[in-house]
Amino acid sequence: MKKIYTRLPMIIFLVFIGVMFILFFALPKSEYSSSEKRYLAKTPELSEKKLFSGDFRDDAEDYIADHTAGREFWVGLAAYYNYSLGNNGSKGVYNGRDGYLINDPEEQTNLSRNVGYIEEFAQHVQSRLNVPTTVLVAPSTGYVCADKLPAVHKEYRDDEAFTEMKNVFQAARFVDIRDSLKAEYMNGNQIFYRTDHHWTTYGAYTAYRSLSEALGFDPNSESTYEKTAYPGFYGTTYSTSGYWLNPPDEIEVWDNPSNDVEVTIIDGETDIHRDMFFYTHLDEDDKYPVFLDGNHSYTVIKNKNAATDEKLLVVKDSFAHSLVPFLADHYAEIIMVDMRYYSLPLQPIVEQEKVDKILFLYSIDNLSTDGDIGFIE
Amino acid sequence: MVFSSLIFLFMYLPIVLLTYYICPRKWRNLLLFVVNLVFYGWGEPTYVILMVFSTIVDYTCGFFINKFREKKRGVAKLFLILSVVINLSMLGFFKYYNFIAGTWNSIGGSLAVLPILKTVTLPSLSFGSAFPFIGLTMRTVPFTLPIGISFYTFQTMSYSIDVYRREAPVQKNIITFGTYVSLFPQLIAGPIIRYKDVAYQLDHRKETLDSFTKGVCIFCVGLAKKVLIANQMGAMWDAILATGQDNGWLGSWVGIIAYTFQIYFDFSGYSDMACGLGNMMGFEFLKNFNYPYISKSITEFWRRWHISLGTWFREYVYIPLGGNRKGFLRQILNLLIVWFLTGLWHGASYNFILWGLYFGVLLIIEKLVLKKWLEKTPAAFQHLYALFFIVLGWVIFYFAEDNGGMPAMGAFLSSMFNFGGIVIGSDALVILLSYLPMLLIAGAASTPIGVRLYDKVKATAWNPALQSAYCAVVMLLSTALLVAGSYNPFIYFRF
Repeated sequence: MKKIYTRLPMIIFLVFIGVMFILFFALPKSEYSSSEKRYLAKTPELSEKKLFSGDFRDDAEDYIADHTAGREFWVGLAAYYNYSLGNNGSKGVYNGRDGYLINDPEEQTNLSRNVGYIEEFAQHVQSRLNVPTTVLVAPSTGYVCADKLPAVHKEYRDDEAFTEMKNVFQAARFVDIRDSLKAEYMNGNQIFYRTDHHWTTYGAYTAYRSLSEALGFDPNSESTYEKTAYPGFYGTTYSTSGYWLNPPDEIEVWDNPSNDVEVTIIDGETDIHRDMFFYTHLDEDDKYPVFLDGNHSYTVIKNKNAATDEKLLVVKDSFAHSLVPFLADHYAEIIMVDMRYYSLPLQPIVEQEKVDKILFLYSIDNLSTDGDIGFIE
Repeated sequence: MVFSSLIFLFMYLPIVLLTYYICPRKWRNLLLFVVNLVFYGWGEPTYVILMVFSTIVDYTCGFFINKFREKKRGVAKLFLILSVVINLSMLGFFKYYNFIAGTWNSIGGSLAVLPILKTVTLPSLSFGSAFPFIGLTMRTVPFTLPIGISFYTFQTMSYSIDVYRREAPVQKNIITFGTYVSLFPQLIAGPIIRYKDVAYQLDHRKETLDSFTKGVCIFCVGLAKKVLIANQMGAMWDAILATGQDNGWLGSWVGIIAYTFQIYFDFSGYSDMACGLGNMMGFEFLKNFNYPYISKSITEFWRRWHISLGTWFREYVYIPLGGNRKGFLRQILNLLIVWFLTGLWHGASYNFILWGLYFGVLLIIEKLVLKKWLEKTPAAFQHLYALFFIVLGWVIFYFAEDNGGMPAMGAFLSSMFNFGGIVIGSDALVILLSYLPMLLIAGAASTPIGVRLYDKVKATAWNPALQSAYCAVVMLLSTALLVAGSYNPFIYFRF
């Protein structure tokens, strides 16, 4: 007995690596990781070429890493271990107060360039086609909900960026929503999700109201909509962070029953949908794609019961998905373009589709780093 | 393959240990040789040929050196020279060819203006092409450095030299010899094991459960050093380098101190894992690091840092050159040669040569004047002195050509000493605070405090329980951090 006791470290070690080895082969392999939103590595194929090029090695290492037994458990353990050592944002996400998981600030590497592209574009369409451009940029969660940040965090430089944008945008009309979002937040409204980087439906609604003057519409009151809340929303900051113990969000869908909508998604193939809300996504952990089915390169939303027969072009990132349903009340047609997938100039659309107004809608993080906005020309 | 990877821990190692212990003792060296080659070929299958070639060459040379060393010393010497030349040529070609070519071209470019030199034809090495080229240019060839070549060429040379010097017995069995050359625990990052230190073990080692248990504990110490400390310190250093703003002088010091910890825990962790794996299979390797950062002088630092390399250069370069036996000036020259080579051994980049010479000069100064004076100062000052120059050395070491070279080194040094500028940048401060507990742990782990505390319980009945708890925690956390490192959510650029 004493002999076994003195060799306990060896037994623990061998059992551990042995169990991990056996579990790797014994457990079923899933093809897709919903928390990572990607397909996991497939069984590596061995060929002479792959062996000597090093591809087999890389494939095999990816395969083993992707299918290590208890992968999610280990990721969570690592996150909480780092957290306990005071390294809160080890995966680029801070575990803040009241369950807020907040992306750390992005470097504003491409901000000036992107802002310049948009202003140049706005000048162009204004002078040549007489189409006005409006720009709305969502500030970051860490900026608006600063009181939720942990004590040690990198500085959010949203104010610098907004000042720069205010100065640069002349032809484009810049709608600064910092104050209205902060005011709503101070009043106790949830503006951003706790487990996702997007704004909530209420946050999007606030932005929608701020746009009314620049775009020239009369915003609907909250009571116009039928509101439904869906629990169990685990968004992107949650799945990036590894802080699995944080509680989920609720996601709200605000539907205006008087709309008669047809959504056409052109992304490789063309899909037509009779609703702006794609309820099948509510079965997933990440429920945000309930709005307009997530990212697509080109989407057309037609509303037969819209207040005007105007056409609006929205150049956007995913923050627009929850806002555009509000705008659809006012425009007979909204064309929504995502430059990350639609790598063509926009002027032909403005001309051919006879667009009346243009809205650029980005989050500050994306506008600061995006490398595709230059395609607008 | 590296030890601190999931594929090694949960695939290669279980298979190797299982087959090793199932295998009858007399076949174990053959098995080891095979699994060594798999381990080696995993990174670069083509270079397995190089390792087999190296094995055959040195086995043959050793055989003839042994055969002739008593009666025809000259012939034996010829084979010794052959072995050394082949090893150094392999190392020289694969590690330094492109470096030399680049340097040559930059010199040649300026020489080529002389009309006479333009007509000189140099048949130069061309790789993968029969196209001969003319003139002074040497073509650089894109090939990767064979992993561990710096280590195993030094090991095989030690064999030929020791056999020649009658300090080691000849190895008659080529498989056993191949096992030594390719021994996977120390293949990638040492320690550099001299043949005479393991000659007996190769044929007569006894695997015991006690040595296995000991090996497990040492391996876990090494794994903790590598995964729990070095990787974290590396992430910290990378973060400091990537802030894109003025880090301030304190921020720069914090960064290079993180790197100081990273390199020590990385390297010594790897050596520990090697020793632990050796123990698991009945080997006993010599210690490679001995708390280098508690040194009171640079001389002491180099007795505690990468001991197997220092030993190698002393035995096979410094002493044969005459050491300190041929007068003062010759000793200085010998030291400079050794330190030039030590620097160059670390990589084909000017900064490594500079790094080696930097320590060579410091050691000479210590030997000549500083040592006597230093010994009279308070211990705290001696530690501070040694650490200052060690840390400064890592600045030189880090900024190889790949990392920005001399210009980046200069910029970093000037930021370290720009005491009039800002103290610490806002991002650097956040990084410092986020990693502060880990930094303090790394500092404590660089000293023997932990071992001294452990010594108190070592003799008690608690020892196995403590060891087990330690190993379990290290395995759990290391697995977690390794898996987390491979966890890359694809969130359409966060959207």
